[in-house]
Amino acid sequence: MIRYALTRLALLVLGLFVASALIFLTLRILPGDVAQLIAGLNATPEQVEAIREHLGLSDPLPVQYAAWISGVLHGDLGTSLLTGSSVAGELAQKAQVTIPLGLMAMTVAILVALPFGVISAMRRGHADGTALSIGAQTVAAVPVVWAGMMLVVVFAVWLGWLPAQGFPRGGWTDPGAAVRALLLPAVTIGVVEGAMLMRFVRSATLQATGQDFVRTAAAKGLTRTQALLRHGLPTVGLSIITVLGLQVAGIIVGAVVIEQLFSLPGIGRMLVADVGNRDLPKVQGELLVLTGFVLVVGFVVDLVHRVIDPRQREAE
Amino acid sequence: MPRRVTLAAALVAVGALLLSACSAGTSPSPSDSSAGPADPNASVAVRLVSEPGNLDIRQTAGAALDQILIDNVYQGLVSRTPQQEIVDTLATKHTVSGDGLTYTFTLRDGVTFHDGQPLTPADVVWSLQQVKANAAYRDSDRLARVSSIAANGQDVVLTLSEPDSTLLWNLTGRAGLVLKEGDTIDRKTKANGTGPYTLASWKQGDSITLKRNESYWGDKAKAAEVVLDFIPDNQAALSGALAGELDVVTGFDATLKSQIEANGTFSLVLGASTDKGTLAMNATHGKLSDVRVRQAIRQAIDKKSIVQALGAGQTLYGPIPELDPGYEDLSSTAPFDPDAARKLLAEAGASDLTLTLTIPAFYGTTVSQILVSNLHDVGITLKVAQVEFPTWLKDVYTNKDYDLSFVLHTEARDFENWANPDYYFTYNNPKVQDLYAQSTRATDPATSADLLKQAAKIVADDQAADWLYNGASVVAVGTNVTGFPSINVNERMDLAQLAKS
Repeated sequence: MIRYALTRLALLVLGLFVASALIFLTLRILPGDVAQLIAGLNATPEQVEAIREHLGLSDPLPVQYAAWISGVLHGDLGTSLLTGSSVAGELAQKAQVTIPLGLMAMTVAILVALPFGVISAMRRGHADGTALSIGAQTVAAVPVVWAGMMLVVVFAVWLGWLPAQGFPRGGWTDPGAAVRALLLPAVTIGVVEGAMLMRFVRSATLQATGQDFVRTAAAKGLTRTQALLRHGLPTVGLSIITVLGLQVAGIIVGAVVIEQLFSLPGIGRMLVADVGNRDLPKVQGELLVLTGFVLVVGFVVDLVHRVIDPRQREAE
Repeated sequence: MPRRVTLAAALVAVGALLLSACSAGTSPSPSDSSAGPADPNASVAVRLVSEPGNLDIRQTAGAALDQILIDNVYQGLVSRTPQQEIVDTLATKHTVSGDGLTYTFTLRDGVTFHDGQPLTPADVVWSLQQVKANAAYRDSDRLARVSSIAANGQDVVLTLSEPDSTLLWNLTGRAGLVLKEGDTIDRKTKANGTGPYTLASWKQGDSITLKRNESYWGDKAKAAEVVLDFIPDNQAALSGALAGELDVVTGFDATLKSQIEANGTFSLVLGASTDKGTLAMNATHGKLSDVRVRQAIRQAIDKKSIVQALGAGQTLYGPIPELDPGYEDLSSTAPFDPDAARKLLAEAGASDLTLTLTIPAFYGTTVSQILVSNLHDVGITLKVAQVEFPTWLKDVYTNKDYDLSFVLHTEARDFENWANPDYYFTYNNPKVQDLYAQSTRATDPATSADLLKQAAKIVADDQAADWLYNGASVVAVGTNVTGFPSINVNERMDLAQLAKS
């Protein structure tokens, strides 16, 4: 187990390193730079060059990469070229919106997926089961933007129950207002992600129904449902952990879109703005942290899986 | 994934239909426009489209900085009214000598900066000098003809090497802002000015809050607080307005008029602006170097349908909009006439012409769709390259590597670009450059405007570019809100009179 964990950890570190190089290089393909943007229309080439020099954008790429990585290794994610603020500070600030949003979305997704997934599996072949299944297919295909727009029209504009956009200026000093601001966006992402997750829960449940130990339990006198709930579901739960790990990336992508739509000052919106501004050191830092987060989640999921699923250990 | 995309497209279409249907269906509630007395403690929420990168107004480009900071936080000796007249601000009066070489400003007494320090003539001299001396500062070259800046008691005297009819106007902009000498604040995130509002906070990616300056030298601002919310997405802005979270929506899409006015709490205000939807034509590129081809393109474009599709604005046929000096109706230089266009193309031997239009993505597709169809009608194939703004800056603006380009030029009185052969317009006509130089040296505004008019006519006759429309300031204002400016809001936005009941 320890050997497995160490190998997995080494892979994680290697993954982060490769990711950092990829992030750095791919961003350099983007045309245009922040110096030109600061100078704007009506600036002379000399003015732009002066700003570029001042910002250190004229250094050779390997020098820039080395400077960035050595900073990261010393715990410094760098500073924004445009605003001069620290990337870590900005990330911490915006994470106060995005992380609760992600957690709420995840909760909604699970609340949608688990019961409906299990029910639609157990009702397979019945009209209601089929309806649920088709419903899930449809909802999973809904673009987040459209779902968000519809929810806003109904709950914010018509009913006036929830805010249509924005985050309280005081942040979490008023937790009620903060949660209300995140509710519509979280439900938007959560329902769509939940519908996708539901299809997975359904097939995992169906698979579990066919497992020997569930059939054995049923043979011992439990009803099919009882057997499934007591013996089958734990294995379903296990595979769902893995899928949830993968969903993290999906939720981050969803956040980029949804933060734009709801004007939430979160990581997604910051990322879009920073790419548009060509504030590359800042984008690098942000992407590295996000990639790192997804990789670490994957790492933890693998370890947890290994610990609780005896079959994997035996296979070693 | 592709399946999702197709479905997505279909659902968005349905969604848009539903959305317009429900808004149209909502019956207008009785208008409560009986706006009561203004609330002196009101906080007014104003939507702005774009956020400045940072607040350093000396270095960083972008109209957002002018909109937010000039007039409200920073002031100059003179400023401009919405009607584009020049008025004294930190000066109580100004005089210009008969030869146009000496400008004398009498500085207002008892003005303090937001941090409590008094404004002195030395501050004014230093402010102007540092802009002039530092070429990296924006608009530094606008003080090029000023040879000396000196204080004489309460007077500040500018001496010029030659007359400059644009100087006073330029002093109403960034070049003339008065800062405190020796200030050590971080100008990227803080501001210390003399205006009716102080900068209370900036939450990056979200909003800027201005608070009333209680020790302002003039009439105090009517609202206690103005929150400028940065909401790029028009749909989010519309929802925010309908849900009562915004009081004013600037930069609004005029085609959404019926939606925002549906429940009677907002009305759309259209004002004149100096926005020029400019279709630049690169005369150094292939067939575009032929003036007949450029004229054909201009005559093929139906300006009226563009204005109609945008829902606001008016047609424009030359480089100077109606709000600026030197305007004249130049529609005769290239009236809409597809037959004439086809003939010109045939004469120029430019059949089967294919051109690329490079356009920053945030302008949407309305304009490019009309251009594609208009040009197709006369036999020109137009390919549209939607690019991000930094890409546009690099390819089009810096490298001048383009055929046609569309950008909305918002600056007032920016004719100078047609007199600058290095500008991305690639337009080089010594006669125009000479007329422009003469116009800036003129000591009499009427003469100056007349010279500009002559120059503009030549630019239009040369078919140097096309001007697709003169935009309008489109602002949706809550019925309980008064005093929001309506003219040229995309460039400047004086909020002192803004009030809410």
